Amino acid sequence: MSLLSLLAADPSETHHWLLPETAEIIYGGIASVIVIGGLVKFAGPMVKKSMAARTERIQKELDASANDLASAQSDAAGIRTALGDIDAERARLLADANAQAEALLRDGRARLTAEIAELEAKADADIAAAAARGGDELRTEIGRVSASALDKVLPSVLDDATQQSLVENFISKVGASR
Amino acid sequence: MSDNRIEGYARALFEIARAEGTIDEVEDELFRLARTLESSDALRNALTDEKIPAVRRQGIVEDLLGGKATATTTQLVSMVVGGGRGRDLPAIVDKLVQRASREKKLEVAEVRSAVALTADQQTRLAAALANATGKQVNLKVIVDPSVLGGIVATVGDTVIDGSIRTRLDNVKGRL
Repeated sequence: MSLLSLLAADPSETHHWLLPETAEIIYGGIASVIVIGGLVKFAGPMVKKSMAARTERIQKELDASANDLASAQSDAAGIRTALGDIDAERARLLADANAQAEALLRDGRARLTAEIAELEAKADADIAAAAARGGDELRTEIGRVSASALDKVLPSVLDDATQQSLVENFISKVGASR
Repeated sequence: MSDNRIEGYARALFEIARAEGTIDEVEDELFRLARTLESSDALRNALTDEKIPAVRRQGIVEDLLGGKATATTTQLVSMVVGGGRGRDLPAIVDKLVQRASREKKLEVAEVRSAVALTADQQTRLAAALANATGKQVNLKVIVDPSVLGGIVATVGDTVIDGSIRTRLDNVKGRL
């Protein structure tokens, strides 16, 4: 059967084979309007509410995701910063340790040099003191022996002629003074 | 003993010696005895020991001075020692010598020599000291072996030291 035959009107029929009757269209239209209105009236808010809730839930999920993303990015930045700080701290600690080691080494060398110089000076002073002490003791001993020798020798040297000479010398000097 | 008592004894001895007309000899003898007493611990102890009876102490004085000093000197010393003033004898004699010197307007010159000086040396030394100090001096010579040689003369506060002892001490100090 061709399409044209199908579209051809059946003369026995009271209305068009494709289109309903007018009343049916009107009733049907009204009913449809009522149903649609009811749907809009009663189901619309629910649907709208449901959609809003869904939208809100999705938005929340999006916000949460955004927050998570920001938090993760912040954590990542913190970790990166921390990693950077750790590197800097490690470098600083290494530099400090090197500086302290160098300072200790320098101080140690300086202290050792000073101590060696001090010991050398003390040794020199001790040697000089010992030499001086020895010299003093020797001089004292020479003085003591000389004094003792003088005491023993003088009486024999001071004979009567010498005594008289000393007396005359004294009288002459005193008489010549003033 | 107080200065007044020493001065009193000195005045009494001086007046007695002057009355006897032997002041110069007594003064010399007392001066030498005083110096001997200062240098001899044994003699000083013997003459000043209160445990020894006064008569015994006076006997020691007479044994010591009899025939060597004038009778006046011996009697004066015996009187002082017998009176228990032997310890003050040097001070009494010094006062007496000062008084005698003042009477003669002389300054006491204490001369310590290792050997005895002749009369000529004493005369020349007195003249030399008078020339050096500008004062007429009453020379009092003490033979003091510790001087070793030379002379130490003291006139008032002036000391003229020409002794070997001092020179020896200086040399020892330098040594």
